[in-house]
Amino acid sequence: MIETDILVVGGGPAGISAALACGRNNIKTVLIEERDFLGGQLIKQTHRFFGSKEERAGSRGIRIAEDLMNEIKKNKNIDLYLDARALGYYEEEKIFTVLQNGRMLKFSPRKLIIATGAFEKSLSFENNDLPGIYGAGAVQTLMNIYGVKPAERVLMIGSGNIGLIVSYQLIQAGVQVVGVIEAAPEIGGYAVHASKIRRLGVPLYTSHTIKKAIGNEFVTGAEIIELDRNWNEIKGTEKKIDCDCICLSVGLSPLVDILSQSGCEMVYIPELGGEVPVRNENMQTSIDNIYVAGDLAGIEEATAAMLEGELAGLCAANTFINDVKQDERIEKIKNNLEVLRSGPKGSKIRSGLNKLIKGETFFQGGRNTGSEIEAFKKTGIPSGENLRSILPDEKRINETPFALIECFQEIPCDPCVNNCPFGAITEGTDINNLPKIDYSKCTGCGSCISRCPGLAIFLINKNYSENTSTVSMPYEMLPVPQKGEIVDVLDREGKKIVSGKVVKVLKNEKMDKTNVISVEIPKEFFNVARNIRLVK
Amino acid sequence: MMKNKASIVIIGGGVIGCSAAYNLSKRGLKDIVLVEKKFLASGATGRCGAGIRQQWGTRQNCFLAKKSMEIFENFRDYVDTKIDIELKQKGYLLLAYSDKEVDQFEKNIFIQHEYGIPSRILEPEESLEIVPFLNIEKLKAAAFCPTDGHANPFHVTAAYAEAAKKNGVTILKDTEVLGINKSKGRITGVETSKGLIETEKVLNAAGSWAREIGKMAGLDLPVFSERHEILVTEPVNSILDPMVMSFSYNIYCQQSPHGSFIMGYGPENEGHNHRINSSCNFLENMSKKATWLLPPLKKLRIVRQWAGSYNISPDKQPIVCESEELAGFYMAIGFSGHGFMLSPAIGIYLTDLILKEEPPFDITVDLGRFERRETISEPSVV
Repeated sequence: MIETDILVVGGGPAGISAALACGRNNIKTVLIEERDFLGGQLIKQTHRFFGSKEERAGSRGIRIAEDLMNEIKKNKNIDLYLDARALGYYEEEKIFTVLQNGRMLKFSPRKLIIATGAFEKSLSFENNDLPGIYGAGAVQTLMNIYGVKPAERVLMIGSGNIGLIVSYQLIQAGVQVVGVIEAAPEIGGYAVHASKIRRLGVPLYTSHTIKKAIGNEFVTGAEIIELDRNWNEIKGTEKKIDCDCICLSVGLSPLVDILSQSGCEMVYIPELGGEVPVRNENMQTSIDNIYVAGDLAGIEEATAAMLEGELAGLCAANTFINDVKQDERIEKIKNNLEVLRSGPKGSKIRSGLNKLIKGETFFQGGRNTGSEIEAFKKTGIPSGENLRSILPDEKRINETPFALIECFQEIPCDPCVNNCPFGAITEGTDINNLPKIDYSKCTGCGSCISRCPGLAIFLINKNYSENTSTVSMPYEMLPVPQKGEIVDVLDREGKKIVSGKVVKVLKNEKMDKTNVISVEIPKEFFNVARNIRLVK
Repeated sequence: MMKNKASIVIIGGGVIGCSAAYNLSKRGLKDIVLVEKKFLASGATGRCGAGIRQQWGTRQNCFLAKKSMEIFENFRDYVDTKIDIELKQKGYLLLAYSDKEVDQFEKNIFIQHEYGIPSRILEPEESLEIVPFLNIEKLKAAAFCPTDGHANPFHVTAAYAEAAKKNGVTILKDTEVLGINKSKGRITGVETSKGLIETEKVLNAAGSWAREIGKMAGLDLPVFSERHEILVTEPVNSILDPMVMSFSYNIYCQQSPHGSFIMGYGPENEGHNHRINSSCNFLENMSKKATWLLPPLKKLRIVRQWAGSYNISPDKQPIVCESEELAGFYMAIGFSGHGFMLSPAIGIYLTDLILKEEPPFDITVDLGRFERRETISEPSVV
């Protein structure tokens, strides 16, 4: 029997954060992880995180994972068990059993923090068992953990953040994404993620679903169909799309087996992903000594998971030690979580959390509607009206280089605000607000370009020469073009508009692989050119 | 539409309730309603070790067991069902570890033979012919009956229920009994979570909850509930033919046709309550017991453990009768872990009881036996 104060199950962002919160407070903690490495989904997340600076917004998930893993290994209060699978919890005897190296280990923890995450949902359609049909998580694991190219031509089903991000990552890995389809009339994920893949030429079909996979031995294509307002198929709108992989990104289900087995009270809340544990605002379940954190408590994203992990850790630890400093931190985390969930994109999670405990409201405030414009939510491409609303006046356009933030959707994010050396970017008190540039302060230095997690900031030098402008844009593909190289210049839909010359390549460690490419183009295209493609 | 009138309300959708419903309907009784709090076989039936044993030490148990096995053997014809109950008749190997136990087995076999039960005593080495990998250390002798075996309790219950439905029985699942109404010493109806059902007759087949149902009718039934744990391994190729069982070593273990091993033992110092959670203690003890007796099981992984509730009577024998205090209140309770294997015969017996026919078998299973001090002393129980 192994005695410990805290046992944390799951080495993803929530579990790691929970273990660290306890370990930092000198509490004897055991962290068990099913795989032989830590990090959970974080290590597959090569994109930059949104959120606030405090929660490391702007950093790539994989970098956050590296830092957290190092801290876990250094912390003497944390015993890490890798390749260790949770078997069950015996509430009667307060024993938690774990399988490691073919042997059952018995732990007797004073408190348990369960952070087992989630698993991918599937979708039923004809032939959905053909080889070549993957979950988005599987595709990400193949590419980002094992370095295996999963396919040549991928059709992505689902436009939530995972679908959009994995599509982008596929393109980075040299895979063609032939389309993203979405059954809802609007893009599910952040529109900036959609804009990124639109600029790479990926078609996005909203109000569409997959009807069947085509192929005998393996996937050779897919038949998709349009849906009407009531989600009914519209006959005659079937389209065939050639692909060798259909990637399903249709949501996640909380992985709650251990909690159900332990006897925690569960409740079905669709907004939180399905069956979730009833828990209070301290992440404590109906069984006093079991706490939860992360996706199994409700599907969200890694920043929320890390905050919840720390919160669960501190609250569980707080029952052994009483420290005013901790109480302050607990309040601060709760506040940060609330801010993170308070914008229009957080309405689903807010509504779900408010159903968690009968008669108890987790969230008083929060905004359900934002200022974003309909067309943008459908296409990921800003309209002329969107664009006019952010351009400086004609005089400023013609003076010196200026930054342009193509951010039209209120999401919780602030790296641009925090990184502008001249304080030219502000968003007021609410992190969900759209950033605004004070063009009298913007010097056109361009340091914001590589900081934006949505890759939505561009630098325009309209009067680069008499007839040409330059557009500086974030670029995360390989190979990186050389200065002087002639490239295809693309518009916001990824269509070639003109050839242009690369006049500057900005690339340093601090930019962490979001290089900034400046391309020279005829003046008329300064507000059209938003991507480049290398000419072979 | 909720059925609001019944000739009899059967409380409990376990194997006993379903067998009774089928047998009553087969004999022509109309307007039978069966109510079940959760789903069919959700209680002790679906949680049991699934064994069917004829090697008993009393005449009436030998009779009931033999009768039941005959029905299990001809289940498709008897119940008019297409459901395969997965009957596996590869015997029960009962292990004796003391001279006293051997003596008892010999006495039992004498009675068993009266009823045509083909059991025999084996020397320890002979038992290796049946289970080659059996650890025969300390083993004095074994008793073996080749026609004993096990079947799938879910399938048996489902077969009874489907056939009953075909005969017009109404089965209400997810329906909890909340009270039993009486007027002038007679039953008038059963209050359920879905409404009132008017009836003059009730059959208490509530298994673990039999005592609570009795209370609703104002009766103090001498039964209690006790947790019995059980576990199942991953499925492997068939290597174990019989159910291996020992009263003194306290174990039973069978390999299902699917290939998984199902095993359990009788608990010590369990309270009288309804809990059915699993314990780590059972997991470890069970593993030690089973792997000592059947060493190849060391290589198997356990995939699941669970528990069920035995409804236990003072003499660990069933109570099947009409209440003497309340006419129309029938009970089939206190099976003490043997309800599944006896369910076919009990269903028939209940039917005659309820239809006020001559009892088909001469057995003593009434409640009055405790006052008359005619309790049944069955030597062969776990």
